[in-house]
Amino acid sequence: MRPARPLLESPHFLSLLLLGAVAWSLTGVAWGEPLLHTGGGDSALDMLLALFPPDLSPAFLLVCLQAAWHTLSIALASITLAVLIGFPLGVMASGALVSPDSRLRAPLMLSSRFVLGTVRSIHELVWAVLLVAAIGLSPLAAIVALGLPYAGILGRIYAEFLEDTPEEPLTALRSAGASSWQTLVFGRLPMCTPDLVSYTFYRFECSIRSAAILSFVGIRGIGYEIQLSLGDLLFSQVWTLLLALLAIVALVDFWSGRVRQSLLES
Amino acid sequence: MPNGYHSTPGLKDATAPLAVVDNVTKTFPRVTALDHVALTIGAGERVALVGPSGSGKTTLLNLLSGMAQPDSGVVAVGGRDLSHNLPRRELSSLVGIIHQQLDLVPQLPVVHNVLAGRFGHWGVLRSFLSMLWPQDYHLAVAALQQMGIADKIQERTGHLSGGEQQRVAIARTMVQSPLLVLADEPVSSVDPARAQEILQLLLALTEDTGRALVASMHTPYLVSQFFSRAIGLKDGQVHFDIPAPELTQAIQSDLYGLGQEESIPHQD
Amino acid sequence: MIETREPTGYRQRQRRKLTFARLSFYTFLALIAVAWAYIFVEGDSGFTLLLEGRTWDNAGKFLTRLAGAGQDERPAFLQPEQWWATGRLAYNTLAMSVLAIGIAGFGAFLTFIFAARNISSGSLGGTPSRLGAAVYYFLRILYAFTRAVPELVWAMLIVFFLSPGILPGALALGVHNLGIMGRLAAEVVEDMDPAPARAMRASGAGIFQIFLYAILPQTLPHFITYLLYRWEVVIRTTVVVGFVSAGGLGLEMRLNLSFFHYDQVTLLILWYLLLVTGVDFLSAWMRKMARFE
Repeated sequence: MRPARPLLESPHFLSLLLLGAVAWSLTGVAWGEPLLHTGGGDSALDMLLALFPPDLSPAFLLVCLQAAWHTLSIALASITLAVLIGFPLGVMASGALVSPDSRLRAPLMLSSRFVLGTVRSIHELVWAVLLVAAIGLSPLAAIVALGLPYAGILGRIYAEFLEDTPEEPLTALRSAGASSWQTLVFGRLPMCTPDLVSYTFYRFECSIRSAAILSFVGIRGIGYEIQLSLGDLLFSQVWTLLLALLAIVALVDFWSGRVRQSLLES
Repeated sequence: MPNGYHSTPGLKDATAPLAVVDNVTKTFPRVTALDHVALTIGAGERVALVGPSGSGKTTLLNLLSGMAQPDSGVVAVGGRDLSHNLPRRELSSLVGIIHQQLDLVPQLPVVHNVLAGRFGHWGVLRSFLSMLWPQDYHLAVAALQQMGIADKIQERTGHLSGGEQQRVAIARTMVQSPLLVLADEPVSSVDPARAQEILQLLLALTEDTGRALVASMHTPYLVSQFFSRAIGLKDGQVHFDIPAPELTQAIQSDLYGLGQEESIPHQD
Repeated sequence: MIETREPTGYRQRQRRKLTFARLSFYTFLALIAVAWAYIFVEGDSGFTLLLEGRTWDNAGKFLTRLAGAGQDERPAFLQPEQWWATGRLAYNTLAMSVLAIGIAGFGAFLTFIFAARNISSGSLGGTPSRLGAAVYYFLRILYAFTRAVPELVWAMLIVFFLSPGILPGALALGVHNLGIMGRLAAEVVEDMDPAPARAMRASGAGIFQIFLYAILPQTLPHFITYLLYRWEVVIRTTVVVGFVSAGGLGLEMRLNLSFFHYDQVTLLILWYLLLVTGVDFLSAWMRKMARFE
């Protein structure tokens, strides 16, 4: 028999707390002023009707295709950078490289975790704004802006995967005289390769969406084209671009689903 | 009221059998689960269904509960044909079933799991209100008192022991108060001492005149101790139908396939 | 030999699967190579800038000005009244994130049950109907669409017709997360243990009672946990929707960047980091509470 749950742990209390928070957030809305722009309702309607049909002229489809490839190439480049930075940091953060009784272990793990945590907690678009201000508008700024927070995320998850490998095979390797490096390369890494690969692929999917919105600081790609079309009030073009973005993401989603499945089954 | 029950709904005709299974056949894609089975169960009877697994016990219970429909034949309880898509309120006052797995909601406090037996009588508003302010609370208290776990009424069901959860499930059926109580393997995975307790509690459900209990059972000595009638099923047919005390070891060995030829499914 | 006893079909399937994964891996590597080549060939990639001293000078200058050097007055992040002045924005940003979670939570809560396959097919109670199936597909497509369009794009569309403030930002974030929450919640219902619901149906419960007493208690803890996780993501993204004039810290950050008030930018980033850390902490605390077991 367990003691009755204290008030703070009761599910009703949490629900009330959440409802209260939402009610509080509603006070932040300026209800006194009109919520819609003048003519806002009409433009919303225009926007919706422009879906039927989206702009499918060959010339614009070519623009779409180019923009999609721009976005995709930025995503591919930045995920490379993210793996290159995130993997070593993740290995360090997992503590797999230093023996458990080494004095270096704690400082090494903590410092790499701190670096990963910091780059992760700043959104990629904030990175982009800062980088564009610092080194100017270029694909480089976009790649670094995406690569840093993604390195933070990948590094943390890599570290978790490496830590969660079963201990027994590693102990066997160690007792056979393997060094930390050798246990990493012949023990931990092969055991979690499927997880590492499929997670990286999943993040690649996310990076496409991120690359699309990075265009808003002025880097070419789908987001940039959406901004241009919106500026010209060409809503049917906006829809085409949105559908193109959905199509790439769905395609990569399908592909990574197949890869995950085949990795899990083998 | 002697126990957790509210008043017993009377039968239209006191002499009519409480449940009738008339020439019922039920087939599944690969097997015939019940093959022209005919039974009548009277008020006050405590029936044990015995037989090897796959003999059709569970199918028969499901048909009696109204959750499944026969391919041919009629299943009626309290004079009502169960195939006639009865309103859930009426069906719940005719039959109640306790599954082997109990199937309680572990996250809910005990009181709500017990009061689920009243859902057939509640509308939408009352059910909603009960979430905040349990309705028909006295019924839940009385049923849990009878089960000896009234102090657990506000506890999370998932935190209770297996035996206590079984009592909660029985309390739910008590609150539901059906004419025919069905129990699927109620004591299959408990130790002998607990099995005795649980059967006693199940019998308390049908103490009132005008009700009956049907349970599928595995243990012969418990059957002869607690039940009034034993029905042996085999290959979807009634193999024997005898007073429970006569359920001898000899019949058991026949039923469970000591006579090897008997256990081969017949093709006719 | 042991190998010969293995069915050959199995080994062939194994090989084919491995080939698919390996082929995908090489395709992916090739794509990466093409992408990098394209970035360098296509035009000014910016990498040559790294070789110029001017770039590093500029970056250094930018960093020192972020740190507050090179101006007459004290940097903004060392002035308490500046903290106080921008605190209002942080407060609004927090409200925006909570409102966004509220919109996503309510929207998903009202719909997720109809987007679960085991509900629309009637296997938990109720009767299957054409309408139920139509609603199921409609909701699944709606979820897929709302979550596939990035928050920032939603914000761009919404500021077209909504007055600036925290509402457009919250709506943009809310709509995007509605799709994420709806799908997650529907999947939780689909993975749920159906037995308690069926047992309730057997004892006379209707579809509404089954929802209230069997489905909700089993799914709500998961739902709230996911919602809190999403809140952590949303607070990071509030700044982003702010960039497109949806209000809060983001809008102010963009304005200050274009006026070269870099010490103000630092102050806003500090507020942002504070909010992010605070929300992470709060969410972890509440998730512990939501661990109803």
